[in-house]
Amino acid sequence: MMKPEEILELIAAARGTAICVPTMTTGPAWRTLAPDDLSVGCVGFMGGASALGLGLALGAPDRRVIVFDGDGSLLMQLGSLATIAGARPRNLVHLLFKNGVYHTSGSQETPGGQGVDFAAMAKAAGYRSTCTISTLDDLKKRLPALLSDEGPIMAQLMTGLADSTPMNSPPGTPFHQQVANVRAKVSAAG
Amino acid sequence: MPESVPSSLIIDAFKEIFQAERGAGKRHEPLGWVISVPDTHQKSVLAALDKERSLRVITCSTEDDANAVAAGLYMTGEPVIVMIQHAGLYASVNTIRGISMDGKVPIFYMIGLLSREKDKDPKDSRHSMVRFAEPLLDVFGIPHARMEGPDDVKLIPEYYRKSRERKGPAAVLVGLETA
Repeated sequence: MMKPEEILELIAAARGTAICVPTMTTGPAWRTLAPDDLSVGCVGFMGGASALGLGLALGAPDRRVIVFDGDGSLLMQLGSLATIAGARPRNLVHLLFKNGVYHTSGSQETPGGQGVDFAAMAKAAGYRSTCTISTLDDLKKRLPALLSDEGPIMAQLMTGLADSTPMNSPPGTPFHQQVANVRAKVSAAG
Repeated sequence: MPESVPSSLIIDAFKEIFQAERGAGKRHEPLGWVISVPDTHQKSVLAALDKERSLRVITCSTEDDANAVAAGLYMTGEPVIVMIQHAGLYASVNTIRGISMDGKVPIFYMIGLLSREKDKDPKDSRHSMVRFAEPLLDVFGIPHARMEGPDDVKLIPEYYRKSRERKGPAAVLVGLETA
């Protein structure tokens, strides 16, 4: 099992100008690693990170958009896999942090737990490519392609639990301020 | 008595809104985005949009998706309209609250009142899905108006502007099935 924080460190070093969309337990660590204006965290609207990332990807086709989704979060809006596949954004990378539980609310097992294969679901929905990654070494090898190949791409990342959750971490920048920051930065860049 | 509104009038209104928002010299392809979960009441508009080269339609699996896609597009400076039905409004109230209200994302909605009786005010409808739409919008403090005929097409740019001015949701309810 990979540690979510180690995955995020690799991505922070390699993302370039990508817009990042963390949700739930990736949020606190990402705020520490990348306290910038090109990230927008999704908490409180029950699984919207993937569709939010789709909108960003369609509107900013010259940038990479990387969604840090959770298995519990994606299950809440599973239809977004088909929405994304139908829109075919070439610049969207959907990273699925799979730990098999709802960590934030007390680590209750997700429906189907570790048996649910999100990479297979994404492939069946019509993503251009999908993979499952279980080790940091494998992620390091695949990361350049994940950040440059045509999307939509899903990488299902087999992880343990994050050190922090939104429930035991200080609050970050309010969502509406993150929205305004991203809009200002992306619009200014043209 | 309310009347159906031709789809061509609605699409012209969309285009005028998007052209005004784009201004001169900015990206014009697509002119704007229509994010939709198909609505029986507005199906003539959706059919006509299929033939529109200048507008890009993204069909979503759910209204939750539609709200989040619209928010992402807004963050990149793109003009967006969301078309849903009243049942979709009910299905996505938490996302509207989280994204458009708390997130201060201006989202303009066209909401079809499927099964609304032509001879009744929606509050007197025998269908709960028709009766509850306007009261629900009131509870959330979302500005709204009902399009009851061709003369009301002007409500579309008016409520689109309201969503921008207040940085939040605003809606036009489609009273009768579009023509």
